[in-house]
Formats: sequence, C-alpha cells, structure tokens
Amino acid sequence: MSPVERRIFLKRMAMAAAAASASSLVPDVAFGEELGGYVGDPEALEWRKTPCRFCGVGCGLLVGLENGRAVAVKGDPESSVNRGLCCVKGYHSVQALYGGDRITRAQVRRDGRLVEVSIEEALDVVAERIRSTIAEHGKDSVAMYGSGQWTIPDGYVASKLFKGALGTNNVEANARLCMASAVTGFMSTFGLDEPMGCYEDIDHADVFVLWGNNMAEMHPVLFSRMLERRRTGQGVQIIDLATRTTRTSYAADRSLLFAPQSDLAIANAICHELVANHWVDESFVERHVAFKRGKTDIGYGLEDGFSFTDEATDVGWDEYVAFLADYTPERVEAISGVPAEDIRWLASLYGDPARKVTSFWCMGMNQHTRGTWINNLVYNVHLLVGKIAEPGNSPFSLTGQPSACGTVREVGTLTHALPHGVVTNEDDRRMAAEIWGVPLENIDPRPTYHTVEMFRALDRGDIRFMWVQVTNPMVTMPHLNRYRAGAEKEGRFLVVSDVYPTPTTDVADVILPASMWFEQEGLFGNSERRTQHFAQLVDPPGDCMSDTWQLIEVARRLGYEELFPWSYEEHIDGIWAEYTRFHDNPKHRMAPLDELKERPGIMWPYVDGQETKWRYNTRHDPAADAEYGDFDFYGKPDHRAWIWLRPYEPPPEVPDAEYPMWLNTGRVVEHWHTGSMTRRVPVLHQAVPNAYVEVNRLDAAEMGIRNRERVRLVTRRGSLELEARIDYRGQPTRGQVFVPFFDEGLLVNELTLDSFCPISKQPDYKKCAVRLERIGGRTAS
Amino acid sequence: MSDEGPLGGRLLGIAVAALVMLAGVLAVGATLRGGPDVPAHPEPGTLETGQPITEEAAVFSTRAADLAVDPTVQGRPGASGRSLAGFRALRAYPGAPPRIPHALADDEFLQATCNQCHRRGGWAPRFGAYAPVSPHPEFSNCLQCHVPANTGELFRPTGWVAAAWPVTGRRAMEGSPPVVPHALEMRGNCVSCHAGPAAVAEIRTTHPERANCRQCHVPALGGPEPGAAFSRPLERPGGAAPPDGPDGRGGGA
Repeated sequence: MSPVERRIFLKRMAMAAAAASASSLVPDVAFGEELGGYVGDPEALEWRKTPCRFCGVGCGLLVGLENGRAVAVKGDPESSVNRGLCCVKGYHSVQALYGGDRITRAQVRRDGRLVEVSIEEALDVVAERIRSTIAEHGKDSVAMYGSGQWTIPDGYVASKLFKGALGTNNVEANARLCMASAVTGFMSTFGLDEPMGCYEDIDHADVFVLWGNNMAEMHPVLFSRMLERRRTGQGVQIIDLATRTTRTSYAADRSLLFAPQSDLAIANAICHELVANHWVDESFVERHVAFKRGKTDIGYGLEDGFSFTDEATDVGWDEYVAFLADYTPERVEAISGVPAEDIRWLASLYGDPARKVTSFWCMGMNQHTRGTWINNLVYNVHLLVGKIAEPGNSPFSLTGQPSACGTVREVGTLTHALPHGVVTNEDDRRMAAEIWGVPLENIDPRPTYHTVEMFRALDRGDIRFMWVQVTNPMVTMPHLNRYRAGAEKEGRFLVVSDVYPTPTTDVADVILPASMWFEQEGLFGNSERRTQHFAQLVDPPGDCMSDTWQLIEVARRLGYEELFPWSYEEHIDGIWAEYTRFHDNPKHRMAPLDELKERPGIMWPYVDGQETKWRYNTRHDPAADAEYGDFDFYGKPDHRAWIWLRPYEPPPEVPDAEYPMWLNTGRVVEHWHTGSMTRRVPVLHQAVPNAYVEVNRLDAAEMGIRNRERVRLVTRRGSLELEARIDYRGQPTRGQVFVPFFDEGLLVNELTLDSFCPISKQPDYKKCAVRLERIGGRTAS
Repeated sequence: MSDEGPLGGRLLGIAVAALVMLAGVLAVGATLRGGPDVPAHPEPGTLETGQPITEEAAVFSTRAADLAVDPTVQGRPGASGRSLAGFRALRAYPGAPPRIPHALADDEFLQATCNQCHRRGGWAPRFGAYAPVSPHPEFSNCLQCHVPANTGELFRPTGWVAAAWPVTGRRAMEGSPPVVPHALEMRGNCVSCHAGPAAVAEIRTTHPERANCRQCHVPALGGPEPGAAFSRPLERPGGAAPPDGPDGRGGGA
C-alpha cells in the first residue's frame, strides 16, 4: 500500500467506524454532517470528462477523482457518442493506471542489463544516439514508430521532429496495421480520408450490413445503439456477413458466412444484381460518379523492398457492366459459399429505394491483402444506389484505436504523409516548411518505409535506431520471429516509451517511463471525425513523462529549441494553435481548444460554430458546392466519387495438404490490443486470463479433439500450443481456427504471415494456412 | 457461487418504495439537443432523433406486470438471497457493472441469453435462487459490460483504490424518507435491488406496494447535506459571487 492508499484507507476506516457506532446509538439519523460533510459519497467525488483510453468509438467518460487518484468511472450522458453507456473496458479503464509493475523510472541497457537512471540521463542517451547514428549511417537510419494511441500533440511533435527537423520520412505508426486500407480506400474513391457520415446514421438506418465486423465485441457501444435502433424502429434489420459465427451473428437478424477473401466477389455480385435489376440510381451515378480501372494481379508484398503503385484508367459504364458479368450470384456462390439467393436478397436490401442502408466494417476488410479493393467495392455498392452521405445511408469505416483518425490520419504520422497532404507534393511540403519554420529542403520528397518494410529494414540493418511509443510491436508484428530477431541484432538501438513492461521493452536499449491518458493533457480524434480534449486530471507516478514532452526534450537536446519553444504549461495550447493552421479550410477546420475543453468532443469540419455531420452533402456541408447538385464529392478534381473495377483475387497463402486450415486472429471485448493495460485490470484479466484457439465442432470431432484439450497450431513460420475451445465465444467455419492476439505469453503472431495489401501496405492477420494437431490432456484450469 | 445476480442494479441506501410506474419516458423529444449541434441546413424529416434522458430512462421501464414474481413477495424459505456484502464484492467500485457470479454454459456465453432470466426475474432452480431483475432489460448485448471470472488470480498486482461505498439511510430528520445516494443512470429501476424476492436483504423496502418511489425519495448527489440550510447568494446572478457562496457541487468528499 502506497502512502496515499494508506491515507485513504485509514480515513475511510475511521469514518466507517464512527458512523457505525453512532448509528447503533441513534438509528435512522444521519451522521454525515457530524463527520464533516459527505462520508464516502461517490456522487460527491469530483467528476471530470475524458474520452475513453481504448477503442476508436471514442466514448465520453466521467472519471471520479479523490485525493488525486481516479477511483470511479461512469459514461458521460452529455457525449453524443455513447450517451452514458460504456463497455466493460471503459467502466474499468482507470484501473489500468494503477498496475503494481508500472514503469516509473528510466532504464538504460549497460553490459546487457537494464539499469535505472534518471530520466534526464536517459533522454541524453537517446539524443546522443540519434546524433551518432545519423552521423555514421545517414538520416534514414533513424526511425520513429508510434501509434493510433498517440495523442494528437504526440504525433504532431514526432512528425515535426523527424520530418521537419531531422529530415527523414521514417515516421510510421501501428495504425498502419489497423486502418491503412481504410485510408487508401477513402483516398482512391473520394480523394479525402475519413467517413462522410457520423454515428447518428445509426439512428436513421433501416438496414445494417456488417462486413466482417464482430461489432458486439469490438464496437459494443455502437452495437448497442444499433440494437436500440432496431428495438424502437420499424422493420429494422441487422445482417452479419462474416467468416466466423460470433455474438454479433446471434444478435443479427441474418448471418451469412463466407469463405475468407470472397467478400471481394460478394460485393461485386451485389453490384451485378443492382445493375441487372435496374436498382441503380441513374441520376446520381450520372451526376456524381466516375468509373476507373486499376492494375490487377498486384502481388502480396512478401519480398523485401516490394513496391507497387496503382494507376487509374478511365472506363465507361459499359465496361463496368462487362466487368460485373463475371460476378453472377451463381458464380460467386461457388467462390464464397454464400447461396445465390442470399446474395440476391442482400442486393435487394441495398437496392430498395425505401430503405436506408448503413454498412459497417473494421479489421475484416482492412487487414486484407486486397484491403483497399474491398473498401472500394463496398463504396461501389453505396454509390450505385446513391445511398451515401445522408442520414442513415452510410458506408461507415470504423476505426480501431482512440486516435488512429485524430493522430495518425489527420496529423499524418505515416512515411508518405504530412499534417496536410503528402511529402511527394511540393505545395504540401511548402506549407509544412512554412508552418514549422524549417527550410523547404529539410522535408524529403521521397517516402521511405511503411511499417512492415521498416521492421525489415531494422532486420537488414538499413535502420539502426528506432524509437517506439505507445505500442507493442513485439506482440503485434506479423511473422514476429523474424522481426524480433532483427530488433535484437547487434548494432540495433531500440528506445521504448511505455507504461508497463512488455515483450517490446524486453528488447529495448532504453526504456522511458511514459505518462498515460489523463496523467497528461491531450487530444484524441475518433472514428466519426470527433476531436476530444482531456485535461490532466491526476499526476503521473515517478519520473513518468508524456510522449509529447519526451520528444520535445530530445529535440531540444538535438539543438531544435526554436522549433519547440513552448513552456510545459502552455505546450498543448501552442501545439494546437500551430497544428490547426494545417487544416484551416472549410473542408477540415477544427474547433478551437477552449471550446474543446468545454464540450465532450466536436466534429470537423467545424465551420462558423457548426459541426458537419454529413460531408459532401450540400445541405449539411458548407464546403460542398450546390453547383454540383445535392452532392459534391470535392475530394476529387472532377468532383465525383470513383467506382473502381476491382476483381476477386485469391490470398497468397491458402490451405493445402500440409497446412490444411485457415488461421484467423483478432480480439475479445475484454482486452485492448496486446493486453499490456487490460490484463492489469482485475475484472478483465479474470474474465479472459489467456489466449485459446476456437475450433469448429465438426473439425474437432473428426480429429478427436475435445473441448479444453491442448492442441498445437503449426504454420510455415512457427508453432504454438493452446487450449482448444469448441462453441465457446465464437464458432469458426469448418476448416478455420481463430486465436485472439492479446496474450504476450501465447504469441499467435509468431504464426501469422507478413503479406500486405500492395496499395495500403497493411498486413492481413485474418488469413494464412495452418495445421491443427491434437496433443491431448486437459488444461488445468 | 456468490449470492448476487449479474444484472442487479446498484440501488443502495434506504428503503425505497418499489412497484414501478406505468408511464415511459424513454424518448424525450428532439428539443434536448440543439444549439451548435444542429446542422447548418436542417433536412426536413431527418432532424435530430430524440435522445432518452439517460438518468431517467430506466425509472419506469419495468412494470410490475412484466415481472415473473410479484415484487411484494418475499420469496420461498431456503432461497439463496442477495446480501449487501455480496452485492458490493461483485463491483469494482460503486456504480461499476457487476460481474457475472455464476457459471455460464458455452452457448449462453456465445448467445448472451441473460435476459431469458433477468428480464422478468423468477425462480431459477439451477441456482436455488430468484434471478435478480435487470434495471435495464432494454439492453441486450449484456456481455458488453458484464463478464464472468474464469480465474481468481491477478496477472500483476494492482494498486487500485476504489471510491468508497455511500452511507445508506441518510435522511434530513427522524422519520423523513431517506435520499437516494447513487446516480440513476442504468440503474433507475428501483425494483431491481430494493423489492421482490431477489432484493438485496439490507436495502429491501418495507413498503413494496407503493409504486411511485421518487415521490418521496430524491437523489442527493453532491449537493448540500440533507438538512443543511439553504443559503441565499449575497449577489444576484451576474454579479460577483459571494466569498462562500454555493458552488453547485457541495463540499466534496
């Protein structure tokens, strides 16, 4: 018990004892007043707002504070995101601050051993190592690897330091592993990133189609809002389109199971039916849509140095119809396993002009070797029937992390990106150079490494120094054995800023103790373009320091004081004022900080004091020009959204005689990503203490595997022993197994394949070939 | 097995009258939001949807007639009941969603069939107990917030300290109705914890036949202590605040 805990404990014991003895003397009389005000009244705590620390939904929370500690949580009824409801992670989120093994001191590896040093000394070591590595190996030998859990200021100063000052585009973030395909999908179809709609679409839609998205566990608060819409609305339907039966399937009105990767064919078959049945909204298509063909047979990124650039060729309606001829429901039934009549039925829902349709998706479509394509194809469906950018008609790409949108996508902490635009565009570089106050030549016009290639470069030795913040790549990288061995090689220097020991801090040369969440002031941006501010509500323990301030301290040691001039008290205000200059236009203007401090989040574009709920819709979006009709897809120079002709192509590794099953990986509602926070929350760890493998009942019977027996999974890259679960949390289809990735003791990513979408460079964690072996013997538990 | 149900609401304090009202206030008007949230060019027919008043939403959501067992019934002898200690042990802090204290069959876990028992309550032979009634049966993704414990171990030690439980039975004077010492969001249905055979013993109401609980029992959430004198601010609104004027938050804990 710390002194603070002891003080709280003693105070409460004294009060309880006094109240108890007093009550026994005079029953039914209140004694609060005699004890000096409220006794143990949770409603008398100080409640302060913050967005949740965990997923991309961005629920508003109220945190109860007592004696400088967070002691309770409730949903913020004022937040339009969650209206007072949370999920089990959110309700227990503040416990993640108080794990007993919190990293509170800096550590530096000396003679192979990590030793505690002052944070000042550790920051000196980091700065000196950056300087010496650049001197010896060039500027592109140092890299920054951050996260969609970076606050907006974290990502902004990282980009400014590496891209603006050091002059390298070696800035990436784990969001590459989680939403890069969503970004390239938006960019190729609309020319601008992030959804056109917002969560309020849920309250207007009649049909929800969930594309490979177990929302009941992954976006539970939005899922409950959808169930509420169905409960109170007339004839509202939820259709689960998935490769695995989950809680979402059971809650849905229909569950359609498809073979891995065949979503590409299904989306085209829906379009085929929309055309064949004349359900296309011809005036919308004529006015607002253009047709493009891209490259095909585009590879899988398995080789080091793989490169691919797509190219758009103009095509017409007739060519599009000819392209769709390959995707009759009967042919697609053969590829996908979904009966042709069900495909026709699904198309009829999209095609019915009387129904508003919202499609949701997340990792199923994004972690996909054709992730960009499947994003394009679902937009095609909505564009053909004109069901887009108006209340309830919404193709909605959900995000995984609390600030994947706010930080990684909007600040642009990816190798090719800048806070506004891309490094390859001179106007964008000029804007960045001007706002940052650096010479234009500082900003390199060539992108360097995307995430997988960055870890390959570390393995090869092209990168010698990497600084990792708020993420745990030694659990999350696919084909993990290669990248861990690479990070451990002689002459590689890894700096890790984190809050708890992880497999990544295990291989670090310097560990910097980080403050987390509301131990610092910061901002997140959620899935619906909502920016959310949180104040510092409690003090960080020990020497813990925000990632923003760590970066600023190192920048100053490298001689960039003038680029990072802010005092600690004013640095968030200063950063926000500077950063928002990048987006100061009607398409992306962001709210001023003083308003963000008061309200539970504000959506951009925020123009003249108004949030924009439906972009591109001339009735809602001040940037949309009515000259183009009801909609103006202003992201593209032709003011049109692009329908792409994207074919079905198979994944790179499919089950064969040696590895006869599919391996799918993912999450559970109780755990956040690699579990470094949620496993330290008692309720969450105790609910799901370890990873396991879900096996289909028929496969298990055939192999003689009983529930909770030990089995072994083997892929070309590694093997792992796990407990088999049959008809437990989810039911994989025959020939498929599923493993959650949160467990650092059972690393399923040692088995996964590092293939990726050639356009987005996002790996596919959902499909590789695996062999299931029976070991026998029940797990002791 | 503990004696506490998964979906019991967290009504503490006092005997609160129990049967529940017939009126519903789930959706209260589109007028609640507005101001800067309203789109620049409102589209007819697609204005803001009504949002429930979250604090009030559940208060009248379960009607006595919806329950499997009359809330005035105390229950059969030998039934395992709920105690306040068990109630608290299932919650990480006052107001936290309780853990699921009983085993779940795998298909129950996958399909979240909780409301089969917890929507209406009733005798559950499997547990030898009355199922507590959910204060918010309109929600059906139960496992979003309520999870079982599959181990008693911790992954790592924790230094977490929870908020204290509120003192029950606070009232202004002898004989006056006690105040409600907790927030009502998600747990405004008094029946769930305070009446019926699954009620928590220490906080069971003496008068479950009275239906309009909040006629007499009002929330006291961080305002002045019940019985404390109201003091009129020395200045009118808009003027300078008096040195010791009420701050709307009360003294704090």
